Amino acid sequence: MPTRRDCLRFGLALGPACAGVAHALEPATGPVVLTVSGRVMTPNDGQQANFDMAMIERMPQVSFVTRTPWYGQPRRFTGPLLREVLRRAGAQGATLRLRALNDYRVDMPFEDAQRYELIVARLLDGAPMPVRDKGPLFAVYPFDSQPELRNAVYYSRSAWQLRSIEVR
Amino acid sequence: MAAPVDRSSLTGGDTARPRFPWLVLIAALLCVSLLGVVLLEGRQLLRLTTSLRNGSEQRVVQVHRQQIEYLQLREQWQRALDDSLPLDARMLTLRYDIWVGRMTMLREDSALRQLVSGDDATAVAETLRRIDAFVARADPLFTGRRTPSRAELSALHGELVALEEAMNDLALNAAHRSSNELTQRHLTLRQYTQLTIALTAFLSLLVLVFAALALRQMRQLDQRRQALESLAEELRLARADADAANQAKSAFLANMSHEIRTPFQGLLGMLSVLRESGLTARQIDLLRTATESADHLLAIVNDLLDISQLEAGRLTLMPVTVELRTLLQEVEALMRPQAAAKQLALHLDADPSVPEHVVLDPTRVKQILFNLLSNAIKYSERGTVVLDIRPRHADLGDELEFVVTDTGVGMGEATIERLFQRFSRADEDAGAAPPPGTGLGLEISRNLARLMGGDIEVTSRRGEGSRFTFRMPLQRAEKPPAPPPMPPGAGPAAQPLHVLVAEDHATNRQVLAALLESMGHRTHFVADGDEAVAAVRAQRFDLVLMDLHMPGSDGIAATRAIRALPERRAATVPIVALTADAYADTRERCLVAGMNDFLTKPVRRDNLGAVLRQLFGAASGAAPAGGGEPLRSPLGEPAEGRTAPLIDAATVASALQVLSTERFGSLVREFLDQAPATVARLRAAVRDAQPLELRVHAHAARGAALNLGLTALASTAEGLQNGATHLPAHEIARLVQRFEDLLPLTRTAAQQAGLLPEMAPP
Repeated sequence: MPTRRDCLRFGLALGPACAGVAHALEPATGPVVLTVSGRVMTPNDGQQANFDMAMIERMPQVSFVTRTPWYGQPRRFTGPLLREVLRRAGAQGATLRLRALNDYRVDMPFEDAQRYELIVARLLDGAPMPVRDKGPLFAVYPFDSQPELRNAVYYSRSAWQLRSIEVR
Repeated sequence: MAAPVDRSSLTGGDTARPRFPWLVLIAALLCVSLLGVVLLEGRQLLRLTTSLRNGSEQRVVQVHRQQIEYLQLREQWQRALDDSLPLDARMLTLRYDIWVGRMTMLREDSALRQLVSGDDATAVAETLRRIDAFVARADPLFTGRRTPSRAELSALHGELVALEEAMNDLALNAAHRSSNELTQRHLTLRQYTQLTIALTAFLSLLVLVFAALALRQMRQLDQRRQALESLAEELRLARADADAANQAKSAFLANMSHEIRTPFQGLLGMLSVLRESGLTARQIDLLRTATESADHLLAIVNDLLDISQLEAGRLTLMPVTVELRTLLQEVEALMRPQAAAKQLALHLDADPSVPEHVVLDPTRVKQILFNLLSNAIKYSERGTVVLDIRPRHADLGDELEFVVTDTGVGMGEATIERLFQRFSRADEDAGAAPPPGTGLGLEISRNLARLMGGDIEVTSRRGEGSRFTFRMPLQRAEKPPAPPPMPPGAGPAAQPLHVLVAEDHATNRQVLAALLESMGHRTHFVADGDEAVAAVRAQRFDLVLMDLHMPGSDGIAATRAIRALPERRAATVPIVALTADAYADTRERCLVAGMNDFLTKPVRRDNLGAVLRQLFGAASGAAPAGGGEPLRSPLGEPAEGRTAPLIDAATVASALQVLSTERFGSLVREFLDQAPATVARLRAAVRDAQPLELRVHAHAARGAALNLGLTALASTAEGLQNGATHLPAHEIARLVQRFEDLLPLTRTAAQQAGLLPEMAPP
């Protein structure tokens, strides 16, 4: 029996068969904090899927404590899994291009979102993050639980002040 | 011969030893070097891991982003001051927040601050202070609810622009520092790599040295092994040489002993002639001493012959079925006079469980018992000498045990230890005058016992007598000795042969002539070896029967001469040896000399027939029809409790197959007629104390009697022959008397058997 993810993965080929299964993404009502564009199958605004903070808050939340190169102490990060965000948007591709408010840009393999518990953190130690402190959204890998992530490649993929994701 | 062995390579162990620490040293160096490599690589791994985790590369990017963000803020600020454009306060606030966030990071991340400070920490502190001052004044414009006015922005714009140089410095500092760090890191990496390469090269070198040493060690081991092998080969060759030399020596000794006996008999003959030539009492006395010496010498030669045969392994035992009682009686008969002469009691005690008939070599067993008993008597001055015979159950089968116990002087432990050694004598510590003897007796006895599969052991204490135990495997015989099997009867000879017989003894000549003629063969007789050679050259013979002991050139020499003849016909004539001694080495000597076969005396129809059949096919050895019924009683009856029958029915029967009864009878009569003369000669020898002469006459009488089947006479003569040199005079006289007494008994028995048809008293 095909899972939902299978349907997503083969969505292009099986589009009509899976169409009824995939929930359509509700439109963003508040200020948009994250835009998923590119190969998005369930857009809610033209070709792209927009998320406001409330939509992000309603997704299942994941929380972990990890050390990072940017803070002297281990910090707790909380937010939905990136793969959940992508699933909501019906994103399907090989590469994700992350952009930040400060015009930072980095590419990561689509696989990273599937393989790691990579979250789009919205809370730092339980509190929302201002722009001054890398907010409002921060893509964070679970560095402490998976030591192979502890190098510059994954550090650089951890984009803070995350603004948009382009699925390619 | 093998090449001389390199001794130094054999003792290489001494030179190899100091190499051992070298191997240890190299092994230790290998370990240390490997440890060094592991430590170096481990340290490098640690550094790399730390560097990766710290994300130091990422910080350089952050510093660059900081400058970009400053410039973006300044541009946005500039645009906000432009009256022609609408004031985008949201965007300006975003840019301001981003820049302030970055500055906060710069202040809080000590690694980052270190990166941007370059070599001058105070300058950075000053820059941060200036930034703080700016932020403190600008923050109220952006954190409040209201939108900042152009005037407020313009007031602070100068200060923001003034920060450019400081911001630029931070970026440059970081670039330089990171570049330096990178270079430093690469240098360290290079250093580590160099060290690693050096260590690896060193390791390789060590491994090579190690391998070379191991290889060398292996090669040396190989060389040593080869040296040992060649030494072993050399030793083997040397041993073979030594064995060959020893064998040659033994053969020489045996031959010499044998050869010495022949002139010795001449010497004895001359001595006896000399005695008859009217000597004074003084001269007779001297002559007796000379004869005694000769007797001693002959005993030595006989012992030497035995020893050499034993050493060369040429002495072959000839086990036959014998009646043990008879054998013991013979031993007793010979020993009793010796014991009596010293007033010693002699007891022979056979256990009832000793079987009646056993298989053993009677001559050699008797020789051992004579020796043991003679010694017991020799070293006892009073008391008793006892010979116990009993069977004994041993691990490896039943044994027969002969125990000789005496009450003599006994021996100390030192003597016992040397007892069986060559020429050792028990009297060395007994203080007694040494009796005559070679001292070889016990050695010979023990070797004989061992040859039989047994041994001789001794227990003794000085002053308490000795006990010699001779044991040998017991081989029971259920039946008494069987008469020799008769050859199958057949028609007359299909292939008459012309046979040359070289034999110097008249009686034997007559027996052989009768045997061969009865088989349908023609005979021609010669009396010595030289004549035999001449006859073979002169006539054509199908076969030569060659006695080994003849005057002039003996059988061996004659055979060699015949084989060396130029005429092919003569040189290839088959030659068969005739001899009384059945030693394996005698047979070997015959065959080596070129003889074809070997016949043991007494020659009988069956063994002669077997040889002829082997050489010429079935018909030549066949017997004519009508050989006659073998003679039985009364010839086989023992007389006067003696064990040996007067006449051996089997021998007579065998002889009668080839001789007419008349012819055989005439031979017997001739022997019996001449016997009184023999008795006279024996008596003379006894009277004149001429043991060797006695032995010679007894030997001759024994041979003739044996051929004619006159067993009792033959065994008495054998007793004389064997005891001639060591029996006391009265015992010898008794034996001679017995021989004489047996003559009329034998004659009567022969008459009763129908061998002597007419009465012909001498």
